[in-house]
Amino acid sequence: MLASTEARLAKQAGPAVCVGRKQSSKPNSDVVLEVRGLSKAYPGVKALDCCNLEVHQGEIHALLGQNGAGKSTLIKLLSGAEQPDSGAVLLNGHEVVLRTPQDAQRAGIFTIFQELSLVPGLSVAENIFVSDMPVNRFGKVRWRQLRDEAVHAMDWVGFPVDVDSPVQTLSVAQKQGVELAKALHRNAKVVLLDEPSATLPQADVARLFEVLRVLQTRGLALIYISHRLEEVQELCGVATVLRNGSKVGTYSIADTNPTDLIRAMIGRDLKSSLVGETTGSERKPRLGSGGDGTIVLSVRGVDDGSIVHDVSFDLHRGEILGISGLVGNGQSELAACIFGARGRVAGEIAVDGKPVRVRTPAEAIRAGIGLLPDERKTQGLVLPMSVQSNITMANHAAFSRLTVIDRRQERRVTKEMIDSLSIRVSTYGDEQPVGTLSGGNQQKVVLAKWLVSKCKILLFSEPTRGVDIGAKEEIYELIKVFVLNGGSVIVISSELPEALMCDRVLVMSRGRLVGDLSYNDIDPYGEAILKLYGGEARAETSR
Amino acid sequence: MSSQATSIAEGLWHGFRKHVLYSYLLWVLVGTFVLGSIVSPYFMTQRNVGNVLTFSAVISVIAVGQFFVVVTGGIDLSVGAIAALTTVVAAVLMKAGCPATVAAIAALVAAGVCGAINGLLVVKAGITPFVATLAMMSIARGVSYLVQEGSLIGITNDGFVSFFAGKIGPIQSPVIIFLAVMLIAGFFMRETTFGRRLYAIGGNGEAARLSGLPVAKCIFSAYLLNGLLTGLGGLILAAQLTQGSSLLAQGYELDSIAAVVVGGASLAGGTGTPIGAVIGGLIIGMLGNIMNLVGMSSEPQMVVKGLLILVAVMFIGGGVKQSRRSSKLSKLQGLAHLFKGGVA
Repeated sequence: MLASTEARLAKQAGPAVCVGRKQSSKPNSDVVLEVRGLSKAYPGVKALDCCNLEVHQGEIHALLGQNGAGKSTLIKLLSGAEQPDSGAVLLNGHEVVLRTPQDAQRAGIFTIFQELSLVPGLSVAENIFVSDMPVNRFGKVRWRQLRDEAVHAMDWVGFPVDVDSPVQTLSVAQKQGVELAKALHRNAKVVLLDEPSATLPQADVARLFEVLRVLQTRGLALIYISHRLEEVQELCGVATVLRNGSKVGTYSIADTNPTDLIRAMIGRDLKSSLVGETTGSERKPRLGSGGDGTIVLSVRGVDDGSIVHDVSFDLHRGEILGISGLVGNGQSELAACIFGARGRVAGEIAVDGKPVRVRTPAEAIRAGIGLLPDERKTQGLVLPMSVQSNITMANHAAFSRLTVIDRRQERRVTKEMIDSLSIRVSTYGDEQPVGTLSGGNQQKVVLAKWLVSKCKILLFSEPTRGVDIGAKEEIYELIKVFVLNGGSVIVISSELPEALMCDRVLVMSRGRLVGDLSYNDIDPYGEAILKLYGGEARAETSR
Repeated sequence: MSSQATSIAEGLWHGFRKHVLYSYLLWVLVGTFVLGSIVSPYFMTQRNVGNVLTFSAVISVIAVGQFFVVVTGGIDLSVGAIAALTTVVAAVLMKAGCPATVAAIAALVAAGVCGAINGLLVVKAGITPFVATLAMMSIARGVSYLVQEGSLIGITNDGFVSFFAGKIGPIQSPVIIFLAVMLIAGFFMRETTFGRRLYAIGGNGEAARLSGLPVAKCIFSAYLLNGLLTGLGGLILAAQLTQGSSLLAQGYELDSIAAVVVGGASLAGGTGTPIGAVIGGLIIGMLGNIMNLVGMSSEPQMVVKGLLILVAVMFIGGGVKQSRRSSKLSKLQGLAHLFKGGVA
């Protein structure tokens, strides 16, 4: 409580924002990190073009931009992972050269990546002190001191965990706490957080914000990168928007309309209201039209023996069915069970009224079921292979005769898919490795793979995770088109706005279905859904 | 009409650029030829080049087999032992009076069984390829000792020797065999669904599984194929040396892996080509030949060979894990990382 009041005071006392290039030369005593004209080019792309940025003490500074805007490049440069072509980084007014991540950390710049850099097998305490264990003069670790200091460090970030437990047993939120403690104990001045909330359940996001506000009052400068505007509005005082490698501007969150921020990010007005008004508006956007009532997929008593328990539901033709719940309540495991990628101990699945075996993904695909996994890069695509090879991967039979691939047909179908889904590929055309595409375009390639395989039922797991706002809208549009053409969709999402767009929402809690709400049952704020995972949220915090 | 002509010309130019101008491997091979001709006038003679190719035949065939395993992200340490077992089985059967065809087929079956067992151990028992094939290396070598009962067995069957080590027209038959194997394997990897699947499995096994590909079947086939090709290599070896012995083909597992890696495949899987593997083997073979021609003794040759593998791999990219195929940038980065001591 006290912490958040202090935070508010600190925010009010904060200096004027909207720092232009001319003003940046003016000496400013509480500027912790200054980036001056930083540029970085990769072959063929100017990833970052003369970027300026000032981050003040006790400020949570949002860094916004679509994928490919230059955020990740800036992070790489600031964390010492890569070198700028030109420009300088100043810390407390002194220029620092960051040749390696070690240089950056010595200077006091710490980056907390989505893939956390903790050693899973070591304890919390060992992880915090991994680079500078307290030792006696014979080199033996002073375990008691290590433990006490670790407890202290964890208290300081306000995240009580047992410092003796191995990191692999912690939740993602707790691991982030450990990362923060590790950074703080090594005298961090600036902490960069790269989409920390992307992998967190909603309840833990609130915890993370509390911790970040405490750090803010302690005078740290935080750079917060997120795709979620609501979070930025809640947490950050200032936002810098990047687009196509250049800075668009720095905005005070309090004085800026969120639509203006979105406009700055995508450089054009939003075509539809899908993204801009998804939550909080009186009118709810809707993706589908409810379907024609024919049951295409029926799931009965599916149980995996550990996480998913006795789940039964029907999916209708042309319907968009949402499966909502806090992260970690069995939604993605349920999808894997239906797709045959996860073993079931009980339960039957029928497609178009006929029972199907679905023990392997291959059988699911044959039955016309496709899964767009949330982990696109590790589960959905073979990154070094071409767009073309990825698109045709699940249906080789249609592109080969006596196993010899018919390249001409393959190219033709790929071109069709690239055009109809407007997948943005570079001049390399069909031979471009899929790993070089942006998140939204990669998602489209996964979708193309299932379209080419003639799948009629698609399971989208977190369809827009790691996808920028412009592409998000396009993906919603593609889902719409897919159902209009007679497909049926299950959307598994931890984002409430996405659940609100569905024709019907199933709510999962602890591996069981606890609610079945139709579009009209759900209020524009999603309270009806939240109420269903309310009990679960309480259980989560008491743990 | 003219637009079609230009598009064909463009396609040809594109292919030329991709497969000739930007092919590091080819340039390294050309460089080796140039180096050889400078160092020794004897190098470029028909006789010498013929010898190099003939002696590279066995390792080339085995390297193609090894490539099938490596592209799935696996490794096969048992190929040397399997080749030795093949020579012994063929020699023992021919000594016992079997016709050459029967002996050769039986030897191939023995090699195929070894490969199949490797595949089953990896796919069904879930043993890591390194350990599974390490065990098979010992088993196959041991079995070949047991079958052989005593010292080496000579092969006197002329038909066998002339088929696997003779001449067809002016060209040595081992050369024809390895070129055929290379081209067929190249076709399979490039033009068939089987090849596409192996690349997908090596590139991302989980994504391949979730796309419904028969992952286990493909990996098993890769080990089986490797066993059979190793057997074929063993038959050529037996014919060339006119003997079967459990002591043959020592260290061929490492030579074949070196060829595959120098040929541009990553041990992480998903990249490379069988033709690259053969060229990789040829480069190593020719450099050895050059060093022999200048009269270098064998100990420094080993040092030079090791260094050359490292240099070749840094430029061709096989040993350096990279996200993009054939990206010059990542190759340079790989080089830089190596000098930085691999801090990433």
